[in-house]
Amino acid sequence: MADTKKKRYALVLDSKKCINCKACVVACKAENGVPVGKFRDWITEERRGTWPRLMATFDPEQCEHCANPSCVRVCPTGASWQRADGIVLVNYDDCIGCRYCMIACPYNARYFREDLGVVDKCTLCAHRVDKGGIPACVETCPSKVRVFGDLEDPSSDVSQLLNTRRFLVKKPETGNGPQLYYLL
Amino acid sequence: MEGNRIDRRKFLQVTAAGAAATALVTQTGCLKYFEKGGGAPAPAPLVVPTACELCPNKCSVLAVVEGGVIRKLNPNPENPKSRGMLCARGNAAVKQVYDPDRLKQPLIRAGERGEGKWRAASWDEAWDYTAKKLSEIKQKYGPEGTLWASTEGFQEIFFRNLGSAFGSPNIVRHPTLCLASVNLAYSATFGTVPSFDLLNAEYVIMSGANRFESIITPDTMDLIGSAMNRKTKLVYLDPRFTVTASKADHWYPIRPGTDMAFILAMLNVIIGEGRYDKEFVATYTTGFDKLSDHVRQYTPDWAEKETEIPARDIVHIAREFADAAPRAVYYAGRRSSWYKNDFQMRRAQAILNAVVGNWDREGGMVPNAKIAMGEYLFLPWDDPKAARVDELDKNFPLAAKGDGVYLKLRENVLAGKPYPVKGWMVYKQDPMNALPDQGMTLKMIQQMDFVGVIDIGMSDTAWYADVVFPESAYLERTDPVEAMPGIWPAVVFRQQVVKPVHDTKPNLEIVQGLAKRLNLSDYFDYTMDQWVDAQAKDLPVDNPLAYLKKHGVLGIAEPKFGGTLKPDHRFVTKSGKIELFSERLQESGFDALPVYKPPVQPPAGRFRMVLGRKGYFTHANQTNNPWLNEFYPENDLSINPQPAQNLGIKTGDMLEVSSGAGTVRLKARVTEEIRPDCVFMLHGYGKKSKWQKLVYGVGASDAVVLETAWDEVSGNAAFHETFVNVRKA
Repeated sequence: MADTKKKRYALVLDSKKCINCKACVVACKAENGVPVGKFRDWITEERRGTWPRLMATFDPEQCEHCANPSCVRVCPTGASWQRADGIVLVNYDDCIGCRYCMIACPYNARYFREDLGVVDKCTLCAHRVDKGGIPACVETCPSKVRVFGDLEDPSSDVSQLLNTRRFLVKKPETGNGPQLYYLL
Repeated sequence: MEGNRIDRRKFLQVTAAGAAATALVTQTGCLKYFEKGGGAPAPAPLVVPTACELCPNKCSVLAVVEGGVIRKLNPNPENPKSRGMLCARGNAAVKQVYDPDRLKQPLIRAGERGEGKWRAASWDEAWDYTAKKLSEIKQKYGPEGTLWASTEGFQEIFFRNLGSAFGSPNIVRHPTLCLASVNLAYSATFGTVPSFDLLNAEYVIMSGANRFESIITPDTMDLIGSAMNRKTKLVYLDPRFTVTASKADHWYPIRPGTDMAFILAMLNVIIGEGRYDKEFVATYTTGFDKLSDHVRQYTPDWAEKETEIPARDIVHIAREFADAAPRAVYYAGRRSSWYKNDFQMRRAQAILNAVVGNWDREGGMVPNAKIAMGEYLFLPWDDPKAARVDELDKNFPLAAKGDGVYLKLRENVLAGKPYPVKGWMVYKQDPMNALPDQGMTLKMIQQMDFVGVIDIGMSDTAWYADVVFPESAYLERTDPVEAMPGIWPAVVFRQQVVKPVHDTKPNLEIVQGLAKRLNLSDYFDYTMDQWVDAQAKDLPVDNPLAYLKKHGVLGIAEPKFGGTLKPDHRFVTKSGKIELFSERLQESGFDALPVYKPPVQPPAGRFRMVLGRKGYFTHANQTNNPWLNEFYPENDLSINPQPAQNLGIKTGDMLEVSSGAGTVRLKARVTEEIRPDCVFMLHGYGKKSKWQKLVYGVGASDAVVLETAWDEVSGNAAFHETFVNVRKA
């Protein structure tokens, strides 16, 4: 595995640019062999108003790769674990399918894979990242909503964006320290 | 989740300690996890550049192949049009190759048409049978007794050439189901069809061109970037609240079919207040005085009554548009098959663009640049002896002759006039779903002595055919090089990524097999390699073919503006100028300036059916792709809560939707996001073909209820002219 010292991976998302085209969802499905009907990433739609005063917003979502991931804390076998660079993973071999982590995750980012009897989730495409690549969802996005990078590197795009733009995170009150930053 | 900036560093400290400890214990497990699925140590993945075929955008793709199997399709950022993206459809193309229900060998019908009884045939048998049938028809009715229908694709040319070499004048293509009216209107005005520089435009008006759901490269990406960064103002007119509406600065749910009134009123304001580009108009256009007189009648107050857009807003938009020019465009859109006046509505747009002088300027409308390519010189054939069955010369003198006019053609074939057409060959097209009034298309199939289909899947049309030839999926074949004109022109190359999984062939070989049996081999005496060599050899790079194989695309990233802005530049029009007033239209018996005629509105209790796409569906076959189908497994009828309440309709209720063409049943989706006088359904459901497993009999096909109507100048289908009755089933 590549050197993961002094790295903290995160995603910055500019949801305003999201057109709900699902490219990220299919790219993830193809890249990671996610079964039909299951999703490692998804787009939450919010629609409000009455004709003709209407609004719609779209938020791409996936595992937050939290700073303090509750899924890892509750895992009885250590199958859910976190790398030094912040990426939260599930080790299939150690997963007993108890699904505590699914309950503990405030973001509903995990799903159960019936075919393997394990819990699965976004890996931030660690296998691509470790070869110097970027996650499939980030790469494929037509409107370039997602920006991937290292928060420990002050010159990275994610650091620059967070230093210059206002943003929010989802459900900060959980104390999980989510690492998906949504630009305002 | 409001505004709290969390203390990232604090969290990181905690995590770093915790995670490091965990990492020590389980890293081996992790390694195992990543090695899983590959099985034996796999060789380094092969990356093959190619070009997507899921929609007309032809985006550049990097196919990752492991052990002879396509693992993933990634975007190729070298393409200046697709700009490093691959959409949901493009990503899902892997499933086309490994679809268990795709066509795997030639099939000959064994039962009644549409019964779904087939027998597997050898290629020789399928070719022999088809050639025999076509020859019989030729003997009885002449070569004009055959019809050759196809949709754009890199190998489409071979199919059309076969029809022409066979001697048939009846080659019909998809444009009159798509963008014929916009092409003709801009050609009539500027002598060419330009692109729109949405990367640099500061003011964009769109009539129904739902660019954030109907993805067009690079327009969709350019516009979302510039609009969301507040650089560009977007005004959007659409009877539906689409994704584009949700991103627009101003959205007007215009009364359907009245867009031309809005445009003419804008012209009224811009000309009346002297806000047009006087120098440009004087130098490059003709007919301005006539235009000026003509639009005086179209006041904003008048347009408000037609469009339901407030007059003061029309005035305001017109002023802002003129002020932003030349970085202002009234965007043409792509599928422009809406209303019977579609050509004239697009003409009005073109004229509006012309008078503000946005022509050939950064942020405006730009004539397309093109990278010059060579071509393979094949043996030419004699011109067909018979005239076209759609009587194009008589009915649509300005329409593109090579494309034909589909709906008029169907009408004439069904009437058997001016002569019988009894053989129908179809390539890469599903007329059963692409044309309105499926019942009529089915009748057209039934009156044929022979129907042969070349496709990758069992479409509804293939389902009713006599012979089905399985074409290889795009990832399994090498295609001709394709030039893509634009502001950022490119040449793309689709090369074979994997060997065909089943007993399928590229279209060229299917055509050559038929040509041989029809004694037409002399016209097809080349290989794909020879064809590609001839195209590539003059490209402006060293070792062009090697370059294309390595990169998959040759693009020009630096646009050029203003090449035509010389006072002596001759536009390809009759006058050599930009024609605000068109003598050519007048001579052909059409309005030389766009004259507004109010559209018929639905009578009380009926609804206008409008169409549109999602970002993950373009063509009717894509609803059967499992990676796309799951976003919308069953289509439904969008209806506004107000009429829904009157009819006692709730979301999920089964409805009966009927028109003069047919009746379908589908579920209701009661939504605020559509005008109360319109209903909407997605395309590509309610399939007849049982091999389209996910959508066979699921939801409804829009083609069943759409009535036949067309634009009088271009012959483009008018898909928004159908009124339907809706009731609980």
